[in-house]
Amino acid sequence: MSESAPRTASVIGGGSWGTALAHILGTHGYETLLWMRDEDTVREVNEERTNRRYLGDAPIDPHVEATSDLARSATHAELILVVVPSKAFRQVANALGDHVVGDQILVSATKGLQEDGMKRMSQILREETCCRKVGALSGPNLAKEVLDGHPTSTVVASPFEEVIEKAERMLSGPRFRLYGNFDIVGVELAGALKNIYAIAGGVAAGLGFAANTQSALITRGLAEMCRFGKRFGADPATFQGLAGVGDMIATCTSTLSRNHTVGRLLAGGGKLEDIVESLGMVAEGVETTRVVHHYARRERIYMPIAEAVHRMLFEGATPESALTTLMERASRYEDLDSLIHTGPVAGDSVVESARLAALNRRLE
Amino acid sequence: MRNEIRDAVVTEVESRILEACLRQAELPGGLPLDVLVNDTLYHEKKRLELHPQAPGRDDDLAFWGHVKSRLGNAGGPELRRLLQEIIDRFVREVLGNFSDAVYRLSTSVLPRTLPVLLNAMSPQRLLSKGMPDLSDTIRIEGDIEGLRRCERLGTVILTPTHVSNLDSVVIGWALYAMGLKPFTFGAGLNLFANPLLSFFMRNLGAYRVDRTKTAPLYKDVLKEYATVTLEMGQSQLFFPGGTRARSGFIEQHLKLGLLSSGIHAYINNLVRGRARPRVYVVPCTTSYEVVLEGETLIEDHLKLVGKSRYIITDDESFRPKQVMRFFRSVLAMDGRIVLRIADPLDVFGNRVDAEGESIDARGRRVDISRYVLDDTGRPAHVPQRDRVYVREVGAAVARAFREHNVVLATNLVAFTLFEHLKARHPTMDLYRLLRTGGDGTGVEMGVFAERVRAVAVAARELADAGELHVTDAVAEGNPARLVGSALRHYGSYHRNPVITRRGDRVFAGDMNLLYYYHNRLAGYGLEAAAVADSREVA
Repeated sequence: MSESAPRTASVIGGGSWGTALAHILGTHGYETLLWMRDEDTVREVNEERTNRRYLGDAPIDPHVEATSDLARSATHAELILVVVPSKAFRQVANALGDHVVGDQILVSATKGLQEDGMKRMSQILREETCCRKVGALSGPNLAKEVLDGHPTSTVVASPFEEVIEKAERMLSGPRFRLYGNFDIVGVELAGALKNIYAIAGGVAAGLGFAANTQSALITRGLAEMCRFGKRFGADPATFQGLAGVGDMIATCTSTLSRNHTVGRLLAGGGKLEDIVESLGMVAEGVETTRVVHHYARRERIYMPIAEAVHRMLFEGATPESALTTLMERASRYEDLDSLIHTGPVAGDSVVESARLAALNRRLE
Repeated sequence: MRNEIRDAVVTEVESRILEACLRQAELPGGLPLDVLVNDTLYHEKKRLELHPQAPGRDDDLAFWGHVKSRLGNAGGPELRRLLQEIIDRFVREVLGNFSDAVYRLSTSVLPRTLPVLLNAMSPQRLLSKGMPDLSDTIRIEGDIEGLRRCERLGTVILTPTHVSNLDSVVIGWALYAMGLKPFTFGAGLNLFANPLLSFFMRNLGAYRVDRTKTAPLYKDVLKEYATVTLEMGQSQLFFPGGTRARSGFIEQHLKLGLLSSGIHAYINNLVRGRARPRVYVVPCTTSYEVVLEGETLIEDHLKLVGKSRYIITDDESFRPKQVMRFFRSVLAMDGRIVLRIADPLDVFGNRVDAEGESIDARGRRVDISRYVLDDTGRPAHVPQRDRVYVREVGAAVARAFREHNVVLATNLVAFTLFEHLKARHPTMDLYRLLRTGGDGTGVEMGVFAERVRAVAVAARELADAGELHVTDAVAEGNPARLVGSALRHYGSYHRNPVITRRGDRVFAGDMNLLYYYHNRLAGYGLEAAAVADSREVA
């Protein structure tokens, strides 16, 4: 932006992950503005250095200043991380659009999809602001663990090398390692979709199932994510990385994950509305399930686990019945793309067709 | 291009390329000059072997033979001289034999010659109706004012869809009709060999692009030539589809070469502090009721993937009689060629407002110079970043192509019949369907008319939503009139009927052409409207 390269950063959204990211930037010496709506929390962060609602007593670095002034946050730094719930994302992005300029970098760290048009968060940033250099941050990053200093890695994705480099330079530290990826579509879809399987993992845990079940869920969930991602322009290899299987393992197995919690409570017989109410924060997986289910239907993408989660969340199915349907499905093959033909191939070989017919007659 | 500009362009392009050659040779991993010359020599030798009929081959052989003999024991200064000579040869070849006189003439020659030419082809019409007014035949619509404005405020890259070799002629005339200065454009060397088109190519301000030349240095020269002329304020015509769309589909995989020249020219203009630094990209579409080269193009497309010819030198546009037949048809039918100008974009794909300023998707003004600042806050070329920008403006152009596609009766009727046949033979793959034409029983006219009406309604709904455009006839949606008009158009030009009507049934004629005219509407989700429910299919 300018020759002296000021050590500043902004984070839009003062939830658990937004606060944790601001804290990381603060510990790296960046004067970080953390934007949030709630004035009481602004005061709490600035005076007591905590954000209790989301992160308990974990102390927040003194380089972080909370503010409710969006214009100031938008013009404070070259790099802006946007970490607001997907439902509010467009509105906040639009407001940001009044202040940002074309050489600023916007990176979304929200894992979700907008219901209308299945827009990814970085797409919304593109649509609502003049900024071109947008990116997405996604990976196995449970905010509480990151704040407690547990070592972990994450992915920053953007078509722009510059975005990856800057985010890497500013966020990487001894306990937080960043990898770059040009496949922003894959990284964002992976981050959003894994929440569906986190709910499923929670249900399984709530029903008392252990390692075998979780492993099956993660592996088959990954296959669904790949199918879905491929259809919408992602590179299937991305799902095998940190943003895909990496994040899946973390959220499907950790009790810290909100989506996992939703699943667990669901298995205990809780009602969705009550669970969401009691959580006090947003579980993105609920909305994502709705969106993904809709598009999987429309595009005829085979996603039985996502379908089962949808039935539990929105169609009143009990966890037991959803499980039964899952286990009794007709499909028997792991990889649908590389089947060796089992039936007659229309118009291919009359001899083959005749052989098959003869065999069927014999079996009858 | 005026002579003094021409000389300036030659000097500028040559010095930039030479400087780049020298600078990269200094870099770790850069190509040493002797390797660079050798590599270019290799590509040229290979080309001359592969293309024994290439124009100027003997001269080229002599030149490259000379290069080879000098290269052997060339030291630093000699290498530099060799390189300079090669670059100079490439640059002058690209420029061709432009002359000030021809250029000035071109602004007035084309508009007068084209109608005369058309008349010569249609003496009956001349006798009965007098001189034709091309504006009856070529309809220009869309954001004409926007194009004029951009040309006033900066330099324009006009990016049309590419359907026919006549595109550049049609657009050349249209630019004149809109009161704009001629645009230069790169035309394949093969077009200069076309008996009809070479006349226009020379007069429209075309420069030569030899697509058989594969040497990276030659491609650099082409790109830099385009960049320099844009910087000098010369607007350009650029077909991002590369070659004519063989399949008839609206082009979606674009070649981005000249679009990158747009960004580079813009950055160079900023760096040099030019008064009018802006470069605009204005997409447009050309739509023909019947396409001159339709038969050859689709035939080429349907050949096994990878075997299609990149450069065709024997299609309909190279046969004067065929061209005559085409024009006769177009004129006789009050035929429609529609040139539709899309909304102007900046070189990053943003829309621009009435004052030529870029705006974001929400209509807020954008200072686009900030897109190209480097870490020190100065405008600069950053290759990876600029490649992403080019991809994005390419996507914006592809979007504009789809949205400004104009649905004509011939497309709509072919689309309906083809989709209908496809649905009726779900087990046939495309090639079998094209070969057999289905079961040959045709479709009952009443059923067909109903489907045509349904597709017209669906197309109109898409048009209302801004997803494509329709002609008045399609908007009106009278199926009898649409089918009648399409059949008349096909019949007036194509020797093999595309669709025939016998009794109360319509039949597919030339399946390849049916498929070709159909393809222009593929991918809009209109298929459902074309396919009747099961009762009607039977």
